[in-house]
Amino acid sequence: MPVLYRASSGYLLRHPWQLGLALIGICIGVAVIVAVDLANDSSRKAFRLSMDTLNGAATHQLVGGPGGIDEGIYAELRRGGLRRAAPVVDGRGDVQGLSLNVLGIDPFAEREFRHYSLAGRDERSVIDDGARTARGMEAKALRQLLAEPGASLVSAQAARALRLGLGDAFEVRAGGQARNAFVAGLIDAGAVGQLLVVDIATAQDWFGLLGHLSRIDLRLSGDGQAKELRHRLPAGITLLAADARTQSMSQMSAAFMTNLTAMSLLALLVGIFLIYNSVGFAALQRRGLIGVLRALGLTRREVVGLVLLEAAGLGVVGAALGVGAGIWLGHGLLELVSRSINDLYFRLSVTDVSIGTLAVAKGALAGLLATVVAAAGPAWEASGYRPQLALRRSLLERRSGRMLPWLAAGGLASAGLSLVVLQLSGHSLLAGLVALFLMILGFALSIPLAVRFLAEQGARLAAAVGGIPARLAVGGIATSLSRTGIAIVALAVAVSATVGVSIMVQSFRGAVLEWLDETLRADLYVGVIDGSLDPGLVEDIARVPGVSEYSASRRVWLESEQGRTRMIVLKMAQRSYAGTRLLDADPDEAWPAFERDDAVLVSEPYAFRYGTRRGDLVTLETPTGRRDFRVAATFRSYDVNPGSLLISRSTYARYWDDPQIDSIGVYLADGADVAAVTDAIAALAAGRQSVELRSNRQLQALSLEIFDRTFVITDVLYWLAVGVALVGILGAMLALQLERARELAVLRALGVTPWQLGGMVTLQSGFIGLLSGLAALPLGLLMAWLLIEVINRRAFGWSMPVVVTPAALGSAVLLSVAAALAAGLYPAWRAARSRPALAMREE
Amino acid sequence: MKKIILVIVFVIITGLAVRGFRGPAPGDVEPVAAVPASSRLSELLGADADAGFPLALEPRPFRFPADHGPHPEFRNEWWYATGNLDADGGRRFGFELTLFRFSLTPDARPDPSAWRTNQVYVGHLALTDVVAGEFHVAVRYSRGALGLAGAEAAPPRVWLEDWVMAALPDQDADREPPWRLTARDERLGIDLTLTPRKAPVANGEDGLSRKSSEPGNASYYYSLTRLAVTGAVEVDGSSHAVTGQAWLDREWGSSALARNQLGWDWFALQLDDETELMFYQLRLDDGARDPMSAGTWVTSDGVAHALGADDVTLEVLDQWDSPQGGRYPIRWRLVVPGIGLDVRIWPVLDAQELVTNVRYWEGAVDVEGTRGDNEVAGRGYVELTGYAD
Amino acid sequence: MSDRDVHVRISGLTHSYLEGGRRHDVIRNLDAEFRRCESVALRGRSGSGKSTLLNLVAGIDMPDAGRVLIDGRDLTSMSERERTLFRRRHIGFVYQAFNLIATLSVADNVRLVLELNGVAEREAVKRVGDLLDAVGLGDRADSYPDVLSGGEQQRVAIARALAHRPTLILADEPTGNLDEASAKVVLGLLRRLLQREGGTLLMATHSQQVAASCDRVLDIHDGALVER
Repeated sequence: MPVLYRASSGYLLRHPWQLGLALIGICIGVAVIVAVDLANDSSRKAFRLSMDTLNGAATHQLVGGPGGIDEGIYAELRRGGLRRAAPVVDGRGDVQGLSLNVLGIDPFAEREFRHYSLAGRDERSVIDDGARTARGMEAKALRQLLAEPGASLVSAQAARALRLGLGDAFEVRAGGQARNAFVAGLIDAGAVGQLLVVDIATAQDWFGLLGHLSRIDLRLSGDGQAKELRHRLPAGITLLAADARTQSMSQMSAAFMTNLTAMSLLALLVGIFLIYNSVGFAALQRRGLIGVLRALGLTRREVVGLVLLEAAGLGVVGAALGVGAGIWLGHGLLELVSRSINDLYFRLSVTDVSIGTLAVAKGALAGLLATVVAAAGPAWEASGYRPQLALRRSLLERRSGRMLPWLAAGGLASAGLSLVVLQLSGHSLLAGLVALFLMILGFALSIPLAVRFLAEQGARLAAAVGGIPARLAVGGIATSLSRTGIAIVALAVAVSATVGVSIMVQSFRGAVLEWLDETLRADLYVGVIDGSLDPGLVEDIARVPGVSEYSASRRVWLESEQGRTRMIVLKMAQRSYAGTRLLDADPDEAWPAFERDDAVLVSEPYAFRYGTRRGDLVTLETPTGRRDFRVAATFRSYDVNPGSLLISRSTYARYWDDPQIDSIGVYLADGADVAAVTDAIAALAAGRQSVELRSNRQLQALSLEIFDRTFVITDVLYWLAVGVALVGILGAMLALQLERARELAVLRALGVTPWQLGGMVTLQSGFIGLLSGLAALPLGLLMAWLLIEVINRRAFGWSMPVVVTPAALGSAVLLSVAAALAAGLYPAWRAARSRPALAMREE
Repeated sequence: MKKIILVIVFVIITGLAVRGFRGPAPGDVEPVAAVPASSRLSELLGADADAGFPLALEPRPFRFPADHGPHPEFRNEWWYATGNLDADGGRRFGFELTLFRFSLTPDARPDPSAWRTNQVYVGHLALTDVVAGEFHVAVRYSRGALGLAGAEAAPPRVWLEDWVMAALPDQDADREPPWRLTARDERLGIDLTLTPRKAPVANGEDGLSRKSSEPGNASYYYSLTRLAVTGAVEVDGSSHAVTGQAWLDREWGSSALARNQLGWDWFALQLDDETELMFYQLRLDDGARDPMSAGTWVTSDGVAHALGADDVTLEVLDQWDSPQGGRYPIRWRLVVPGIGLDVRIWPVLDAQELVTNVRYWEGAVDVEGTRGDNEVAGRGYVELTGYAD
Repeated sequence: MSDRDVHVRISGLTHSYLEGGRRHDVIRNLDAEFRRCESVALRGRSGSGKSTLLNLVAGIDMPDAGRVLIDGRDLTSMSERERTLFRRRHIGFVYQAFNLIATLSVADNVRLVLELNGVAEREAVKRVGDLLDAVGLGDRADSYPDVLSGGEQQRVAIARALAHRPTLILADEPTGNLDEASAKVVLGLLRRLLQREGGTLLMATHSQQVAASCDRVLDIHDGALVER
């Protein structure tokens, strides 16, 4: 290594903690980005893979309405010579508490689509491709599959989990009924993991789809064939490209993932402050060295290059560590992410983090760039040191002091820009996030000025209370702002994120709670997991003494080339109406239209997303072709993307042939005994269907549980940001102390005791925490407002009132002080232990 | 930020829409590989499920058209058409269209789903393009449900999706009806009308064709030994008008080969003196010919004479190595001293092996030789099984 | 004095700084010429402008008015980068506080300037060895500055200042931090080396004794130069 680089890097090696903290900052920033990316990617990939596995080689799919597609259409297509078509009936089944994908197929049609290799033996397949069918076919397995109800090919993964072997009988809970099944073969199900493959006859029976198919998979040779086929299709049957369908399903969770990514960027942002802090401080520390080098004839550009190169070196090492940590963290995060996706969007079984080169490269590059960018400022500044030796501190501080107003002005401009972006960007979530970051940046730049003012005032106050040492401690913050400022900003940003997010979550939780209270009107809810209620049972329940009325619901997906629409079919009870709050219509007009005319209601997210308003028409795919329905009102709802439509049972029955009911809400007569009715319903269901019976309280608790679970990731991410900020404070305190070692030594020499010295440092840290906390409040509030009014709205279409509690604000300040105190402990200890003679000589 | 959200997916209204995902419990059960693979159609269709199927034990009179239709109580059954065709310009084709029907279980249990059935159909379509030296094969499978595949007696009709063999309505109820065969795949297709020139003949002992000395190891077997063909074949997108002669075999039973039988060689020859010869020899694992091997000689006026194993001698003149493995006999000298027949048989193309679920050779052949003092020539089809595995 | 003999010429040099809103002239309209290979002592009290003058001559600082010509080239008309490169090539420094780089060994401290000037590695090693021998520290090449005494550190600094054979050496109180004995040694070395390597010396000092060892002595007083 050239002597020059040795001269420079020697400094870092001699101050390993400073090096270490800089590395930790970069490392955590990169790790969070990589982890979130990996978790998102892995979930997305797992979903795609499992869809790909389930779709097999299908290029297109035929789907029908909510009731499926008539099986006769399949036979007709086949007899008409359409070769590459496979019928599918799918659903979910529950075996010993394990939820499995159940795929009902016709083994003969499957050859063109899916390949079921027997677990452990690659060369053999139950259903092979090409011409070798019988050779690879496990004769017995195939015969059983076709001829014996309940014969199942079980994925090896599921078999392992359930401890099932070949030939073992087991019970599947499907459509609310216990069904007998047995293992006819074990297969390798790849990405799907938990899979049960049965004959289509078995699946039709299990899922109550007799006479119908869930879909027909097709392999078409091109657009021409698709077009030709589309012409021949009866009304109500839609031909969709398989890829597009998978895409639109996985799109559902896109906003969720975007938000996670934004969260990870916040951690990096805080990390950037930290890096700036470390690199900047290292440059400051070496101003003497740089002065000498400049005197010896190093040009400005060479000095900048030197510092940047060093930063790049740090960045590379930090990013490498961060990638490693990110992969590790990604495993944990993946579990949280996939659990939330399962709770909110679709079934996902992710078994492992798939380490995408792109995700890793993105994170590493972000870290590296952030480091270099963070170092650029200090490097430029350092290169401006006059090549002389006795640069006085006061001068330096004066210079950075002069910059504060400019920084603040830049901050103001950034905040202003943020508002402009908000105004101009319509519904774009991405732009909303950009605005959020601009706002954070704007505030961050303004914080140092505010801190100086506060610290100066604080120092006066401190002097009055604690004498000269306190004054030195607190005043030191203002006079060494070039060192402490960044740490304060980093901590403030991290704390403001906790303020913003916790206010948002609190507001949200409050809104959801109120909404649940309002909506869960029935006394009891009866439903079936992954299935529909037996209509006979519904009638019997209605006759149970004490039951006065019931509402019935069914949730279906309508699919078209434009995507998927969630539709909720409701038979309202008299008391149900009040449970749905209409946002833009008079209930006295909207409800009759809903019940009698072909009107639908749209949820608030739906209205936001599609810009639909009362009076607009929405076009839906019905079995008799496309039809327009008038929107009678928008209703409040906190459902997930992409929003839903509400339609009355009677309207639905006019256009769709689908009598299924997923769940009912039971309203009791006055004075009826809830327990007695519950028991009566349970007794009715016993032996017929295994139903889930829940009171409205239970249901509410369950909903909130999911709500809270969803925010666990948020917590994890913002605590990481706080962690990064903590490291920043620790670094700043240590740096400050190093810089003032001589001053501290003089104080010691003058007779200040170690305890007093430690106390000064602690006081200083605590005050830094206090300043950060106070600075964080306005930013936190603003962030909460942005999260609720902009981000939440754009991502999910929900609206909710902002609820700010003093506790949220107070605890943020406390958190900040506590964090800074914690970070200041070690520096205080070090200061107390410093030996004055040594420190004085060191210079 | 996250926001994620949530939501409660309309929990309310739906009630219980939400379910938690539970991960698999750790398990230590290793998946056991399933059953050993089988390579024979017969096994696929259930050697171990024999019990319960009726056996062909006694001769029975055939009744038509009823017996042209299915016999679903038996385990297997086929409609087996082969023939030699000529097109303009000297172009020559051989075709095979076979629809197999299998019962997976002896009885069909009632089931709520229309898809459930114990009937499975397999179709083989082969076309030998002699001039081009190409052999095309297509295979289909389907369950016999939902109208996807099936067989009916009145009128006789058997189909597998759009592959159909159907007797055409005929004004004269006493006469054997003509059949229409239509089948198409990506590269080949046939649309042929087959008009019987002779009445069906019962093979074996009044139609009971015994395949081994074990009682019940037999099938019911009749043949239409000469049908005039008109129609068209399609190869690689071009259609050729053809005429020629076909042979239709009908056979059903519940047995498979005996344990010591390796396979069979089946010959169906149509000679230019208006006689036909069918002969099958069952090969034993010790290289010998099973004494139950048998044949039928049909005179020009349609009278059938049963031939026993000892009535026919067969000498292999040449062999052919399949690129897929296995060595087939490919040229023979066949002598039936009782009728003075002495002919040589050779394929119009060596490579007429069907590489499907079971590999077998089935192809068009030419015949030339003498019968008594006269020269005879003819065409036919030969099936060779049990050489490939 | 012919132009050829003049190594450094300063004319009309004025430099001031602001403090508390008031302007202090450190140097006022100063003219001087220094001959090639001459050693000149600048004498004056603390704050008299000695260091400022040296900085101006080095091109580290820029005058408010006036010119600095070295070998006929005007530093004040050069860009900052040109001045830096000029300094790198032609000027050597010796400071009161030594200013060795703590993170480099003695040898590397000397070598650094050679590296900056692009001297080939082999040549550099040889020169470093020579110079360290010359200043009597040949055996301390691998030591770090913090284990050397003040006199030893200054000897290293002298070796560094001369390593790239500058034509002009600027020394700012080179013996200011040294005891009398060490100071003598250092001065002797500096002179000897200058004789050996050639070069003009401008040395700020407030010591009569030190000044006496130079060819000329100039006093700075109230921003003006007075030849002694």
